[in-house]
Amino acid sequence: MYGGGNTFEGIKTDSLSQEDPVKLAAFEARIARGEKIEPTDWMPQLYRKQLIRMIEQHAHSEIIGALPEGTWITRAPGFKRKMALMAKVQDEVGHAQLLYSAAETLGKSREQMIDDLINGKSKYSNVFNYPTFTWADCCFISWLVDAGAIVNQLANAKGSYGPYCRALERICAEESFHLKYGHHCVIYLASGTAKQRQMFQEALNRWWPPMMHFFGPSDKISAHTEVLMRWKVKMGTNDEMRNQFLDMYVPKIWELGFTIPDPNLKKNTETGKWEYTEPDWEEFKRVINGNGPCNKERLEVRRVAEARGRWVREALKSPKAAYVTPLA
Amino acid sequence: MNSLDPRVSRLPQIQEPVSLKAPLDQFGTFEVFVQPKEGKPFQHEGIVHAPDIELAWVLAKETFTRRFTCTSLYVADTRDVYVSPLTEGESNAYDPIPETRESGIKKTYEIYHLAKRGRQHVHAGTVQAATPQHAMTEAKLQFNTGKTVYNVWAIANDAIRFTTPEEKELWLTLSEKKFRDASDYKGGDKLKEFLERKLIS
Ligand SMILES: [Fe+2]
Ligand SMILES: [Fe+2]
Ligand SMILES: [Fe+2]
Repeated sequence: MYGGGNTFEGIKTDSLSQEDPVKLAAFEARIARGEKIEPTDWMPQLYRKQLIRMIEQHAHSEIIGALPEGTWITRAPGFKRKMALMAKVQDEVGHAQLLYSAAETLGKSREQMIDDLINGKSKYSNVFNYPTFTWADCCFISWLVDAGAIVNQLANAKGSYGPYCRALERICAEESFHLKYGHHCVIYLASGTAKQRQMFQEALNRWWPPMMHFFGPSDKISAHTEVLMRWKVKMGTNDEMRNQFLDMYVPKIWELGFTIPDPNLKKNTETGKWEYTEPDWEEFKRVINGNGPCNKERLEVRRVAEARGRWVREALKSPKAAYVTPLA
Repeated sequence: MNSLDPRVSRLPQIQEPVSLKAPLDQFGTFEVFVQPKEGKPFQHEGIVHAPDIELAWVLAKETFTRRFTCTSLYVADTRDVYVSPLTEGESNAYDPIPETRESGIKKTYEIYHLAKRGRQHVHAGTVQAATPQHAMTEAKLQFNTGKTVYNVWAIANDAIRFTTPEEKELWLTLSEKKFRDASDYKGGDKLKEFLERKLIS
């Protein structure tokens, strides 16, 4: 689903001065050569911390991202759409499994990550704190939220941490189905009745602001990320990612005859960059801090699942198995 | 809970606040190895958490084989994988391994190599050895061609949950599930027809 690493909080680079300069230089040289970092390699504390945070947030986004679409499985129009949506949602939960494993190689246990999700300590992609009113909202997510996620994930797959890159390669292969399926759904609505077209237009109006937020705060106001770019933790600025998304998908939305609810949206032919009304970053902050329309419900669903699944975990527990950090 | 989502509205009310899980009630860790194609070597694919190796095998199938990505799969407890240090540059992971012969009852070990940093560990072959350390020595004698290997793993064959020939049928059903396939969503014709209609009107 997601994968931008666009946490709103800034990073503290103080710990860098305490790192061994020789090791740090060797580490940076390895990344500059294009080599991957593996779990047992030396790495700066900040690199480890930032990667855990980013991969963990990505994993949570897959799990929570399954909820707004999952609700439409039983109400999807027709058997084929039900099967496809079920397969897609199953993929998203599978993505979370792969991503949790990658984060675990850095030393944080899966249990700790899940605890941090349900007690509200960890974040996930803001876009999933909005409701899916109609089937068309669900189609918007399948096509365009996934498209945004793919822009991020393809970039991150070229990053420096081996286990994360390997997980992303696998994930990206599955995302191509999500994207084609989502586009297919929207083409059907677009070429259908006036009512169907109206449904999608309304969904587009609702989802455009969160979609613009999806790539994170504008470069003008977002935290300093130079060191994360040098370490190939972050593979592009938020604005670069947003621009890439607009470049690929705005023409496709217009082609279907829909109106994007931003009168200032246009491509500047000289700079090659898209211009748009500045998204409301106060709203973004409000939602990321827990006050969006669905934040409470999303976490509550996870808590209920955790509580109701407890007896199963208890029943399965075996003294012979033991948690250890994954190898690679 | 009051929600647009009928499934959420139907959820039972959880009375007491959900307490944090008891420490480490998340089962063991198992490494998953898959064979991408018939005749190809197995490779390391990732991990699952499970209470025992049998369930690990089931979960591995759910996590790693939803598509046409493999023809077989096996799992081993992470603690049963004997691992050499990871090397870099020109330094061969086999170099520091001593060449001491050992006697004792031998069993079969599966040997994995990391041939390129950043990639997966790939099956190199099997050896007969008395201990995991001895398996490393045997692997050095048999599989060290001088070409740099960055990491070597040895797993005792009897610690592995393999897929049996009968179970292989589990993977054969997948090719009919076309709805999981990007190529099954050809919107092109409908789009073209729509664009032509738009031109006329
Ligand atoms: Fe998604
Ligand atoms: Fe997806
Ligand atoms: Fe996903």
